[in-house]
Amino acid sequence: MARTILEVKGLKKYFPIAAGEQKGKVVRAVDGVDFFIREGETLGLVGESGSGKSTTAYCVIGMYSITDGEISFKGQDISMHSSKRPLSIKKDIGMVFQDPGTTLNPQRSVKQILSLPLSVHKIVDKRDPEEQLLKLLEEVELPAEYLYSYPASLGGGERQMLAIARALATDPSLMVLDEPTSALDVSVQAKIINMLLRLQKERNLAYLFITHDLSLMRNLATRIAIMYLGKIAEIAPTETFFSAPRHPYTQMLLSSIPVMTEDEDALKPKRVVSRGEIPSPVDVPPGCSFNTRCPFVTDGCFEEDPAMREVGTDHWVRCHLFA
Amino acid sequence: MANANDKANCQGTVVKRDKFIQLKRAWYKFSLNKTSVIGLVIVVAVAICAIFQPWLAPYPHHAGEFVDFANVNCPPCKEHWCGTDGVGRDILSRIMYAFRGAFTLGLGCLALVVPFGVVMGLIAGYHKGQWISTFIMRVTDVFLSIPPLIMALCVCAILRPTLFNSLLAVSVSWWTWYCRLVYSMTSSLRNEMYVKSAELTGASTAHILFREILPNCFGAVFTKMTLDMGWIILTGASLGFVGMGEQPPIPSLGTMVADGAKYIPGQWWISICPALAIMIIVLGFNLLGDGVKDMLSSEE
Amino acid sequence: MTQTIVDIRDLYVQYRTFDGQAKVLNGVNLTVKKGEKVSIVGETACGKTTTVKSILRILAPQASIPRGEILFNGSDVLKMGYSELNKLRSSGASMIFQDPTMSLNPVFTIGEQMEAVIRYSGQSGVEQKSVRHELAVKALEETAMPDPERILQSYPFQLSGGMRQRVCIALSLATPRDLVIADEPTTNLDVTIQDQVLKILKQRVEAKGCSLILITHSFGVARETTDRIYVMYAGNMVETAPTQELFREPLHPYSRALMSCIPRLSGGGMAEGIPGRLSNYHNPPKGCRFAPRCPEAMPRCHEEKPESIDVGREHQVACFLYDKDGGK
Repeated sequence: MARTILEVKGLKKYFPIAAGEQKGKVVRAVDGVDFFIREGETLGLVGESGSGKSTTAYCVIGMYSITDGEISFKGQDISMHSSKRPLSIKKDIGMVFQDPGTTLNPQRSVKQILSLPLSVHKIVDKRDPEEQLLKLLEEVELPAEYLYSYPASLGGGERQMLAIARALATDPSLMVLDEPTSALDVSVQAKIINMLLRLQKERNLAYLFITHDLSLMRNLATRIAIMYLGKIAEIAPTETFFSAPRHPYTQMLLSSIPVMTEDEDALKPKRVVSRGEIPSPVDVPPGCSFNTRCPFVTDGCFEEDPAMREVGTDHWVRCHLFA
Repeated sequence: MANANDKANCQGTVVKRDKFIQLKRAWYKFSLNKTSVIGLVIVVAVAICAIFQPWLAPYPHHAGEFVDFANVNCPPCKEHWCGTDGVGRDILSRIMYAFRGAFTLGLGCLALVVPFGVVMGLIAGYHKGQWISTFIMRVTDVFLSIPPLIMALCVCAILRPTLFNSLLAVSVSWWTWYCRLVYSMTSSLRNEMYVKSAELTGASTAHILFREILPNCFGAVFTKMTLDMGWIILTGASLGFVGMGEQPPIPSLGTMVADGAKYIPGQWWISICPALAIMIIVLGFNLLGDGVKDMLSSEE
Repeated sequence: MTQTIVDIRDLYVQYRTFDGQAKVLNGVNLTVKKGEKVSIVGETACGKTTTVKSILRILAPQASIPRGEILFNGSDVLKMGYSELNKLRSSGASMIFQDPTMSLNPVFTIGEQMEAVIRYSGQSGVEQKSVRHELAVKALEETAMPDPERILQSYPFQLSGGMRQRVCIALSLATPRDLVIADEPTTNLDVTIQDQVLKILKQRVEAKGCSLILITHSFGVARETTDRIYVMYAGNMVETAPTQELFREPLHPYSRALMSCIPRLSGGGMAEGIPGRLSNYHNPPKGCRFAPRCPEAMPRCHEEKPESIDVGREHQVACFLYDKDGGK
């Protein structure tokens, strides 16, 4: 079995509210999350907005300093903020954000954008620096003449490919992808996902893939984790996840997805109908945080927060139903 | 595969084409608003007068020490479009010469003020919430609390009133506006994802400030510079009006208005013509500034 | 025969820009019958929103309509005067936008905004405040909103995204309408909330017996909400068919390519995507606008624009691969 390269234990990230009506309270964006990623695999971290999936990713890359918990990468502790991390760690973890329109500086050319990680990590090829950049462009299937263009003259998909090239420049072994295709059309998404799959194979990359799209994860992820209000509700290998979803929230998510074929319709759990909305992470309900929407709720759910339990190989569920 | 030849080719053509199209697009956006084109015409005309005064002015030697008692207080006529003053000097020639001083003041002041203010603003904005930011911004507040004209008057009263000193006087308080502008832009730009991603890559603070953030402030700074040219010239004229500007016999717009004021209403042109000139410059730069703002805004 | 509510015939719309005229709509045909739920599916910048905005004549000032006809209940929208247009917008058709934070005014309460809409709808009896209030409460109750009285007193920012979008649905159905246009109403919402909002939208539209035009980029959403689907590409309706039939047998190469790109919940891997990118509207291809990206393009496709032809009951396709009898 492949080596574990990223391990997150008891990760918590609270944001204090500094002003306004709710001053003094905290936003519990991530509230005790455990997961790990093995070399060369894709972990899909799925959840609704407000579930804390992006915050988790930002903690992993060190954009936020974490409140509590431990993050280790290849056995090395990286729980600190990115400004305190050694360069070698920054080099080994790549990041691609959601909206390529905002992650590429409009005032800098493609060449400047791609050169930055190379010069920071001192891996510029002195003999032919340009050739090195052209290779990067080729790797993400962008034409060479883009080297002197600005992001504004690129299409949305092409910008995202450029952002991926920038993340690849330092040859990382883990890529954190925060909804990289959710702002793009499906025809472009297909291209980018195929490219990511190819790169993963070629470079044995591990992906932490943040998304809200379960259909996409079905075709991409090795394992899937569902987040709800800062906690992981269920984590399972992709096959198991779709054939035997256990957590009521997973079932609710699956039953809500609009699909195209009858095969897919058959996969949707019929018993669970979507109702209610995700509560604010400022006022997390006591007990199990899903108790406001769960169709199978019992008295115990209001009193005690369930613990993660293993119900199959690599399949963990956090619900009293499986106690 | 791209060989060396290809690379050289694509570099040349793409860069040129991109720059050319950008220029054309910029001009298209600028020219959508006709008043800004008028502003540009005014500013260019004034600049030409200022630069080529010795050749364009009807009586270039009237700019300095010159007396012609035969033509004293001559009202506007064919020979003297703006008339002559109390010692017979052609007012139009003197205005054109004064444009030089006004432009020198404006450009010189901006050259001093902009780099300093922008760097201060960048540092304060990027480190918002830390002591260095608080320190810079409180110093800025102190300077802002003193009206620029009064500050300039004090400086000019202490030093000798010359063009250079009035330039210094105006600059002392003017940098704060650039500091504030860049501060507010930087403190929001530092949260942009491209800045975050440069930080995560491990780029140095200097790189982030000057390569990632600064180019995105250029638009606003440039717009403000255009507008400020007008205001600085106006402030300079006010200094001249109270006798703290360039000293006679060198013509300055403010001094000319002040000198002519005692002949009003009889010989109105001595004072009104330079006053109109001030108005036209300020108007020109303001209209131009609006156009520059439209040009640099992203919307179409 | 059922009455036709909207009938767009051969509509062309262009926008004036720096690079010249952007010829966005390129002969759009669209019909919506009374009580019918229709969706327009297409990718970003294919002209979906331009099409529906032209029905209400709320296009940007740079837009012009060189050719075409838009009949709403039989009268031509393009020839309407100010008062007629006002009537069309206040009581004929209503629109639900993608982002409810933009379409609800942040400084008025939901109640004030709903009452204003009801007041200017031209119904009788709405001059009285109590009547308007009752109608607003009723409209909110119908969209399954808990505690309507409290919601009427709230400001938009106090509600969640899903709630705001439900308020917009209530707002557009508070008074009788012939047509509701929903422009990507659930794109910004989470999938569980999207499910709830779409169900309510469908149910309310059916209960009121009005027609619906739903714009979406998701075939799944279109499939679960509407009776008939238009597939749009680069300013053309390339195919229209009843929902079931379109999914059973998509005919246009673009419909097929787009459908294959969508990742399936049942797995099966990712498709290749569609080669190339959307052509420039300033200088569009001469013939079929999809020809440069089409795997089955013939020489003719690059020269002539294919007309829509009937290939089945309510099934039309604009492609030279097919002839009148539905054969290939």
